Amino acid sequence: MMNIEVGTQLDKIVILVYFSLVMGFGAYFGKYSKSTNDYFFGGRRFAWWLITISIVATGVGSHSFVKYSTKAYQYGLSSTMTYLNDWFFMPLFMFGWLPIIYYTKVRSIPEYFERRFNPTARYLATMMILLYMIGYIAIQFLTLATALYRIYGIPLMLTVVLIAIATTIYMHFGGQTSVIFTDLLQGFILIFAGLLLFFLGIQFLGNQVGINGLSAFWMNLTPLQKLPLAHFNHPPDFNFVGIFWQDGIAGSIGFLFLNQGLIMRFMAAKSVNEGRKAAAINVLFVLPISAIVVSNAGWIGRAITNVAPGILPSEMAANDVFVAVTNIVASPGVFGFIIAALCAALMSTADTLVNASSAVVVNDIYRPLSKKVKTEKQELEFARWTSIAVKVIAVILVPFFNSFDSIYEAHGWFHSTFTPPLVVGVFLGIFWKRFTSQAVIATFLGGAFLMILGQFYPQLISPFDHGIELRPDRGYSYIGALYNIFVCAAVGVIVSLFTKSDSSQKLVGLTVYDVQNLKSIFKGSDANEEVGGCPVVNWKLESNDSDELRFSSNDMKLMKANPGDLVYVQDARWWLGGLKSAHSTYGKPHSEDGVVYINSSHLEHGQFVEGLPLKAEKEM
Amino acid sequence: MDFFHTWLPFLYLYGVGGIAFIIGMLIIIRSNALRLTFQKHLKWVWVLIFGFLFYAAIHAFLIFVAIGS
Repeated sequence: MMNIEVGTQLDKIVILVYFSLVMGFGAYFGKYSKSTNDYFFGGRRFAWWLITISIVATGVGSHSFVKYSTKAYQYGLSSTMTYLNDWFFMPLFMFGWLPIIYYTKVRSIPEYFERRFNPTARYLATMMILLYMIGYIAIQFLTLATALYRIYGIPLMLTVVLIAIATTIYMHFGGQTSVIFTDLLQGFILIFAGLLLFFLGIQFLGNQVGINGLSAFWMNLTPLQKLPLAHFNHPPDFNFVGIFWQDGIAGSIGFLFLNQGLIMRFMAAKSVNEGRKAAAINVLFVLPISAIVVSNAGWIGRAITNVAPGILPSEMAANDVFVAVTNIVASPGVFGFIIAALCAALMSTADTLVNASSAVVVNDIYRPLSKKVKTEKQELEFARWTSIAVKVIAVILVPFFNSFDSIYEAHGWFHSTFTPPLVVGVFLGIFWKRFTSQAVIATFLGGAFLMILGQFYPQLISPFDHGIELRPDRGYSYIGALYNIFVCAAVGVIVSLFTKSDSSQKLVGLTVYDVQNLKSIFKGSDANEEVGGCPVVNWKLESNDSDELRFSSNDMKLMKANPGDLVYVQDARWWLGGLKSAHSTYGKPHSEDGVVYINSSHLEHGQFVEGLPLKAEKEM
Repeated sequence: MDFFHTWLPFLYLYGVGGIAFIIGMLIIIRSNALRLTFQKHLKWVWVLIFGFLFYAAIHAFLIFVAIGS
């Protein structure tokens, strides 16, 4: 490890102020969590832009800055490969999986496995997903603690515990709504900080060479370092084809279809169409920006080394490049701010995963095994304590991950071990009706067995290696994902062909072939697809116990709505992104144009403000 | 800089990835999950195709620039 003097008093203060700000911000939104539905899913109310930015903060973990700037320093622009290969599965996600999870009201991925297959499939999936997520949280804690303990000089494990406590404070009270809003703040901060670092780095290079900074940056990368994709199959630790199968295929499916945290984020969207917009904008525009944010320290470091070899320490390890470059190009205070962005990345990824793990424990262990029916209040209390328990287990796991050679290796081990059986299970479950319950169990158990066999006998992976060199004693790296997917899929397909298919009645609404009927299933009657307007109306309170909003006949006509259709109302101030909103059904119309009658339950849920109008829109 | 470093990864990415993309499009169209008769859905078809071409164009552009430099 390189010995760098990091952090002034000002930097330490900036980081502490940042933590306090986020904790206060998150705790404030606790008042919007009235039920487990609000706590886990944010009450299905948010606009696409809010979901998009909070997804950024979830996707960019604290390990991303260190991991990608290392590869950027070693290989140049090809470090962006994994951020720019997620579009291939967007059709299946946007029009297959997203409507299924949204309209069937599946609360967790394991619950989907029970509905689609059987309870055994659910329990196996629960186990794998929990292990995956809690381990992932532990890795996030470890990454940030590794950076912070050098700045503050506090022992590593104590730093881990302090970070866990800080994230607990706002999550304990706020749940998903707090997660979304703190992630919104942190998403902006980490994008801004990453771009600021790029700007400062370019300015630094310009000063060194005496020409325009951008030209200095570009001129001091070699043609190989400018290529956006790595060499096809060489070297073993960074090649295109291996990373394509591990990240572009297994990783993309895993992220889009299996990441409980991401799924819950989409379920917090006010509609499926808003979820589609969030997904599309995120992959099309935000991911390329994120790629620059997490990689640029490495590119700047490489250009600095090419132009003036003495500036970065000659003994510097590649994975120290992020801290080293930040230290050189940023002044005191700005360094603290950029490290605070690293904190932002950790906290936003960890809080999403903790909330998701807690949702899985409540939905897939507590509810099914609980003999007595629990009240909403009891479940909410249990969910809050579960999120603390998840963090305690993650903290206990930190020393185990600290024993790996690098965080990169620990992270890779996780992905390759837990993702392929789940990826194959969920993918075949959604898109192949013939895929049976016995086959999914065989995929989980038999596939896992063959994957372990591949770890011990790498020659089994050789037919898939695309010419990638086998590393003595270390086996294959990324290309193992292709073998893992192949054996899991083969087991699933073969067992399906030899077992009796599940009844088509059981599959209703759970495969892509029923998506066209999902709206009707969700609504309980035929969906009204007529496109209407969105009037802005004043609200009045009436004492009425039924879950109905009453509009005037003319406003109903404008919205092309009928009594019984579903409606969404939100505070007309767009920048709230749906925070103050409610879903309901249209009741009997009245004659007072520009007015909607709501009841106390809508008011409590929507937290509407006296005197401020609402915008209404027909859902279906 | 040989073919293994420049265009082969590009062809593999958009060849194999392209197959996954086209199969995905066919599945959602044939299952009626995406209905071409819906104006709203039709707009999404263009967005999906645009996204694929957008990424292919970014990668192709950067490869051309790197080779040129």
